[in-house]
Amino acid sequence: MDSKQSTPVTIPDHQPSAIEKLVAFLDERVGLKEMQAKMLNEPIPGGSRWAYVFGSILLFIFAMQALTGTLLMFYYVPTADHAWASTQYIIHDVDYGWFLLGYHFWGSSAMVVCVIAHMSQVFLWGAYKKPRELLWIVGLALFGVVITFGFTGYLLPWDQRAFWATTVGVEILDKTPIVGDFIARFLKGGPTPGQMTLSRFFVLHVMILPAALMALAGLHLFLFRVAAPAGPFTGTVEEIKAKTDYFFPRQIWKDMVGMAFVFVSICALALWEPVVLLDEAAPDPGDYHPEPEWYFLFYFQLLRLKLFAGEFGQFLGAVALPVAFMALLVALPFIDKDPERNIFKRPIALISWIAIMVVIVLFTVASVINREFLD
Amino acid sequence: MLQPKLKSKVRCTDLDIGEVTKVVLDPLSHEISHIVVSMNGSGERQVAMGHVQTVTDDFVQLRAPSTDILALPPFKREDYVTTHEVEISHLEDNLHVTPGEVLVPLPDLEKNVKRRTFFMNFTHVIGFLIGLPIAYPILRFLMKPMYADFDNAWLNVGNVSKIKQDDVGVQFKYKKKVKEVYMPESEVDKNVWILRATPELLEKVYKDKDMEFRDARGKTLWTNKKDIPYVAFSGKCPHLGCAFKWRQHKTLGQVFLCPCHLSIYDAAGTVLDGPAPRALDALPLRVSAGGDVEIIDMEFKAGTKSQIRII
Repeated sequence: MDSKQSTPVTIPDHQPSAIEKLVAFLDERVGLKEMQAKMLNEPIPGGSRWAYVFGSILLFIFAMQALTGTLLMFYYVPTADHAWASTQYIIHDVDYGWFLLGYHFWGSSAMVVCVIAHMSQVFLWGAYKKPRELLWIVGLALFGVVITFGFTGYLLPWDQRAFWATTVGVEILDKTPIVGDFIARFLKGGPTPGQMTLSRFFVLHVMILPAALMALAGLHLFLFRVAAPAGPFTGTVEEIKAKTDYFFPRQIWKDMVGMAFVFVSICALALWEPVVLLDEAAPDPGDYHPEPEWYFLFYFQLLRLKLFAGEFGQFLGAVALPVAFMALLVALPFIDKDPERNIFKRPIALISWIAIMVVIVLFTVASVINREFLD
Repeated sequence: MLQPKLKSKVRCTDLDIGEVTKVVLDPLSHEISHIVVSMNGSGERQVAMGHVQTVTDDFVQLRAPSTDILALPPFKREDYVTTHEVEISHLEDNLHVTPGEVLVPLPDLEKNVKRRTFFMNFTHVIGFLIGLPIAYPILRFLMKPMYADFDNAWLNVGNVSKIKQDDVGVQFKYKKKVKEVYMPESEVDKNVWILRATPELLEKVYKDKDMEFRDARGKTLWTNKKDIPYVAFSGKCPHLGCAFKWRQHKTLGQVFLCPCHLSIYDAAGTVLDGPAPRALDALPLRVSAGGDVEIIDMEFKAGTKSQIRII
């Protein structure tokens, strides 16, 4: 502040513009400049990197999903007798309806891809370790919210694809011991999928999950700022210090390029692979072979294994496996207490990550190959 | 850690050179790395903590002579930001650089308030008293449609003249009227698989016993006699509830195959391959003299070894 006194003499008759006055007015009341400075001047240890862009991209994708989702609600009707027709109306009759629906549809895929990328980056960088355990756990909760978003949104068009993905998905939850039947009926709003299911999924998708996501994402960001970015996993303190820069401008620039890339990709997908509805939902699928969204395909294929046959096998595949996997991820920062963050010095972590990715890719490919044998 | 306070006098080995005007923090270690000294009118110098020998309440003793300090480059304010303009959490937590504490007065009404803990707990109790009476109504509100009575009505699904071959699965599609809560009554497409069975197949399905179907209270609704040569299977796969088909299989011949998780059943509904935990669900069936087939549209929970009826 003292330095301001030594700045060159200002032009005496300079009148602040209307915008400058407005900014000054707000700054006086809200502390705008300080807030902006705090937001932008966040040291990134070791400097900005392309690997760090996924968090910002996820926030961007969510904002766009909220925008397109809100617009879709202007025409969409969440009832069993109108959901399909209103979605068709959006696709075929509303100007750019096909585009906004396509964007929302592909945006959800982009969200899942970026969540996996974000989690992988944090895992490989060892950034979940002390003192960032809570940050990691809130991140896992956000992962759960994103997956539930995908699952609930899938039903809303009320076509055959939607109906069967939901039927099977809810049957999987039904396999939970003791409370499974209650959970399944609670979600379906009855013994079988119908209007009540659609209502429930709709409320979850447009009210409860967005609120949960915003609250958790806020908490995630808060914890991130409290703990500070982890930075690179190699280099001495001096080296890292020498390369450190602030969030603005280099990291924001990289984030913006990432967002632009994601935006263009989603638009391209919406253009070239527009959403096409199947027949209206019915408990008789006709010639349709039920299949979940592509990011669930590996799990779908996994459940075809003999290992998961029979009542116990189903419990293993539908409940024990995913619950154990998530529990392991939650416990990870408390099990893995070694402060070593270099992924090349953490062979178990590296091999596990590669193994999981290989399983996902292999089983996804297997399920695609399997399609041919069914036709 | 040395904590030189603002406004402390700074003394070199030979003489007093000025006072501490600013302190500079290391963003990583959160410790003071430099002090900024006003040189009694000769500008400001940035002095590394390495030069500091001792720190007392209002006095900083340096190791170097004043000429060394004066020889340092002038302090460049533009190379720094204040702690209000940067986001480094806990940066100031361990610092005590101001001479004395910074205080704000306690409002009069807050002085001598006893039972703070009591009031704190009391707010929790009130919150609980608000939450408790609405928790149960909310639960009941959401549970309203979850459990419905079984529908034991007979539905006509078609005529057996459609079946041309024995022991071959034939799909009968039918419309079921549903009246869901406030919705107008509507018709949904459903399907059931019916076979005209040879005695061998009947034997495999019924194992020489009539098949009894009961209502919710356990009263017998209907008995499928073991010698009636028609069998109806619910269209729902007992694995995870998809819809199976009658298909040609490379090695197993004609089978019921579910395209979802590839459960395979023979004509009698027995599991041949895949993850299904039980055989296909036979339904109550009656055939009139004219060949019209009627069934009771039951559904059973998927994924369990035993049959648990849900509608």
